[in-house]
Amino acid sequence: MKRRTLLLSGLGAAGALIVGWGVLPPRSRLGRAELLPAVNGEVALNGWIKIAADGSVVLAMHRSEMGQGVHTALSQLVAEELDLPLGRVRLTAAGHDTIYGNVAALLGNLPFGPRDHDRAGYRLSSWVTAKVARELGINLTGGSSSTADAWLPLRLAAATARAQLLGAAALKLKLPVAELTVKDGVIQHAGGALAHYGQVAAQAASTPPGEVQLKEARQWTQIGQARPRVDLAAKVDGSARFGLDVRQPGQLFAAIRHCPMLGGGLGPANLEAVRARPGVLRIVELGPVAGSTAAYAVVARTTWHALEAARALEAAWQPPPGAAADTAAIQAALERQAREADAAGAGFAFLDQGDVKQGLHQALSRVEAVYRAPYLAHVTMEPQNCTAQVRDGRVSLWAPTQVPGLARELAARVAGVPLEAVDLQVTYLGGGFGRRLDIDFIGQAVRVAMDCGGVPVQLVWSREEDTTHDFYRPAEVALMRGGIDKSGVTALSVTAASDALVPRWLERVAPGRAPWLDLLNRNGFPDARAPAALLAPGDAPDKTASEGLFDLPYAIRHARVAHVPTQSGVPIGNWRAVGHSHHAFFRESFIDELAHAARIDPVTLRLQLLDGLPRHQAVLKRVVEASGWGGPRPAGTAQGLALHESFGSIVAQVAEVRAEQGQPRVVRVVCAIDCGTVVNPGIVVRQMESCIVFGLSAALRGRIDIAGGVVQQKSFPELGLLTLAECPAIETYFVPSDGPPTGVGEPGLPPLAPAVANAWFALTGERRRSLPLAA
Amino acid sequence: MELHVNGQTRALPEAAADPAMPLLWALRDGLNLTGTKFGCGIAACGACTVHVDGQAVRSCVTPLGSVVGKTLTTIEGLGAPDHPHALQLAWLAEQVPQCGYCQSGMLMAAAALLARNPDPSDADIDAAMTNLCRCGTYPRVRAAIKQAAKGRKP
Repeated sequence: MKRRTLLLSGLGAAGALIVGWGVLPPRSRLGRAELLPAVNGEVALNGWIKIAADGSVVLAMHRSEMGQGVHTALSQLVAEELDLPLGRVRLTAAGHDTIYGNVAALLGNLPFGPRDHDRAGYRLSSWVTAKVARELGINLTGGSSSTADAWLPLRLAAATARAQLLGAAALKLKLPVAELTVKDGVIQHAGGALAHYGQVAAQAASTPPGEVQLKEARQWTQIGQARPRVDLAAKVDGSARFGLDVRQPGQLFAAIRHCPMLGGGLGPANLEAVRARPGVLRIVELGPVAGSTAAYAVVARTTWHALEAARALEAAWQPPPGAAADTAAIQAALERQAREADAAGAGFAFLDQGDVKQGLHQALSRVEAVYRAPYLAHVTMEPQNCTAQVRDGRVSLWAPTQVPGLARELAARVAGVPLEAVDLQVTYLGGGFGRRLDIDFIGQAVRVAMDCGGVPVQLVWSREEDTTHDFYRPAEVALMRGGIDKSGVTALSVTAASDALVPRWLERVAPGRAPWLDLLNRNGFPDARAPAALLAPGDAPDKTASEGLFDLPYAIRHARVAHVPTQSGVPIGNWRAVGHSHHAFFRESFIDELAHAARIDPVTLRLQLLDGLPRHQAVLKRVVEASGWGGPRPAGTAQGLALHESFGSIVAQVAEVRAEQGQPRVVRVVCAIDCGTVVNPGIVVRQMESCIVFGLSAALRGRIDIAGGVVQQKSFPELGLLTLAECPAIETYFVPSDGPPTGVGEPGLPPLAPAVANAWFALTGERRRSLPLAA
Repeated sequence: MELHVNGQTRALPEAAADPAMPLLWALRDGLNLTGTKFGCGIAACGACTVHVDGQAVRSCVTPLGSVVGKTLTTIEGLGAPDHPHALQLAWLAEQVPQCGYCQSGMLMAAAALLARNPDPSDADIDAAMTNLCRCGTYPRVRAAIKQAAKGRKP
């Protein structure tokens, strides 16, 4: 009770909690019709839905399309409740109201595991967090949360609109509303067509919806169907507009040249010579903005002139104030800190059950191992970019971003204008993977545009700048210890050291809110962890720094999972699946080690440890069956298996591996998933393929090294991304579920690396404990 | 300076008429043909692939001066709205693109492959399709090329 009071007063002081406190989140997200500007005879019925004169429906799209198919899946939810063909749902950009905020993403960041869901603390924390998230209303596409977040509010918005439209038709035609039905967007009575939505929309706006009921699953005709994606026609003929495709009248182009040393500064440079190059108009000095390193931006008439001039810039760059980052030294320091904390029983214990010291001591035998993960770059195919125009006290932005609201706030701060003076149009994103949860490039573009006399300017990062000035997946070292006896695993101790991620991210993207969100995070532990969480020095314990390790599906009597937050000075960010991506490698590889040490089949051991979690067991059984686990294998190949829950979804994968020049070559991956109710199975299957290919690049290669503060890998040739020729055969199977939809954009990634590592062990007897595996 | 692009002769604006300028930027910034993408500038990813006299080339390292007078095709000219290329249809049938950024280059590379090899084997596809995709569309790209090849066989 005390903690809640503290939380409420804190946020109240921030002015965050004023309205809607007593209202359930989905209901309170219907939004007023005034939120949607109506044009060309359209009628807005709430904050999401407009009815066009021709009877089609216009949906306010609040989430960013970066390949995950969200524009299609959310359109399907609306088409479902309005009984409309998908082709008659059109999209318009949503505005900036808090109804478009993301509640599910913040809920997904609560520090609970699959065995905590029945605890009172879990429910209290979820309730408080949902309320706060609703009031904050941060629009964020990430955390594999879009469908989960929209599931109730969007269907409710569509069903409410439908009820109003039917009510209006009943009044107009003097028929009982119960006798009206809808087919393909046409209101019918006794089998005869009466009117399409557009013909009753004006009356519907003033018709109360009455009691609104969502369809039952057996009535669904859209949900569960592999509908073609709504954005693909434009993606096969070149007409889809990404950030770099923005073209405004008179537009200029700017290329960036950061100080090569991360966190370093500018120094004397050959600016005269650069300015004299063909096509160059001016050079803008950029201090650090939203976490960026200082840079020069060269403005020119074409992208090429700008890129060439930026490349020709030579400067006496200033080193960063502290020690320049060096990955070898960082890895050594992480291991030292993990070992010290392990010996002292220190670090923040996200999980502490039983008596792990005693458990390890009493075990028949013990296994100890050190696991390591490197820094990783996002490498979106579309380099970072933003187009900005600053004119007459207004800022116009065209940006591929996952956080449009935070981007507007940053633009307002940089330009010194009120928030209302910033317009932002979200373009298609040429990949996101979490890189575009950062907004450094947007702040930079605004600053450059301020020097361009009201003319729009497109800031473009070269591939080299993009690779060397990313916010990287954090490096991490984990000391793992396990105890086994004849019955299986009795003790597990994990002490991991890495930089906390969320606090650093919040500081740069939402500086005004960072202290309050820190407080919210500290209050997310309404259980025995609360005192330590509230009193933790420095940052609040960062769930992403331990997710995938502490949220243990396995019933292990004595278990302690702790994290030591470090300060390595390297810019780190949200990389697809965030902590899960490398933690699944640590945990699922180590469970495999324990199974081998205990001489128990890895599947048998997992099924036993998953006691009481039937959904996890079902996913494991499905992948075992589909992959022919334990059956005859082609000569020279072996299988490895991993299971991981992330973003609410449970995924198991079996990788089939052979050796090629001493390195693993993955020839087949079989994947099983339980992601709750499947809205579009075609999209889910492709997201699993996406996660597996993306994950395989990272599992095998793609490490980022830093020496003297300078990132050593510059472009594609040094990154070794997976090619089509190396792509394994991939099969995906669903485990049916009638639960609410959970994530699909990331959960397919975490199990891949350990499945490959476990297969490599099965093939060669060599246990590789450091990523990348083919180093 | 003029270019023969997608069946038309187009004059380049002065700012984009440097013979040393890579074709990519003349298309994107000079002619507003933004379907051809910038990925790396060093011919490593293939996002910028276009056809020069029917051959797939990486336009980010192809100087403008070397293509004057030649026949250029970009993604915007691969098919027409009422007459899409077989690969574009196969791409939709297989639901290939995800983020879509690399797909123009993928389609242009695949079209050049099918033009010289109407029935490519898996090994032919491996060798020709070196374009990089971060979303992992590779299995669908392979399937769509095969589907398009099958549909075109007599």
